[in-house]
Amino acid sequence: MVVRYCRARLGRVSGHYHIADDVAQEVCIAVLAALPRYRDMGRPFASFVFGIASHKVADALRSSVRSAVPTQDLPDGPDEGPGPEETVVRYIEAQHARDLLSRLPDTQRELLILRVVSGLSAEETGNVLGMSPGAVRVAQHRALARLRQLAELESIA
Amino acid sequence: MRTDAVLDALARREPIADADAAVRLLGALVADVDSQRLSSVSITPST
Repeated sequence: MVVRYCRARLGRVSGHYHIADDVAQEVCIAVLAALPRYRDMGRPFASFVFGIASHKVADALRSSVRSAVPTQDLPDGPDEGPGPEETVVRYIEAQHARDLLSRLPDTQRELLILRVVSGLSAEETGNVLGMSPGAVRVAQHRALARLRQLAELESIA
Repeated sequence: MRTDAVLDALARREPIADADAAVRLLGALVADVDSQRLSSVSITPST
């Protein structure tokens, strides 16, 4: 869930998710380091983890130093993945989604990513964001409506 | 609420009939995030 969250927020660099995956690893290390200070306050542990993830992603976006890109070894076998055209179309659409999400208020963007990409329930998302499940359901409806509006405006322009 | 059902379906990676532009974009984001194998995270320091 943390890797998916970081990937959704940070996107690809040179076609790869290595920076997002590095940030996810930093989140895991930070969670381990913070465990001795963790106190169970009645909220799910996920809210503690995603709170740290949110800060790590914000740090990465602030620095956003795109340095040398490490490359993997060439695959030594047939590529069973989608072809180049499908890959490019999917990449462009995903990037478009990120662009539109970045125009939403922070809470709406976090809410949609946690609900859809990380797969948290409305209750779990509410615990992460400090909202009641009912407030999450109202906010997610508004967030999706706003995203729909932005997508339609772009299609007209 | 229909929005809740749509978001749950996206989270479960299920196809959604009559998806509008916003839902299709979220679906594309999910597909892109899932497209590269999720690597295992190691906390072993590099040497």
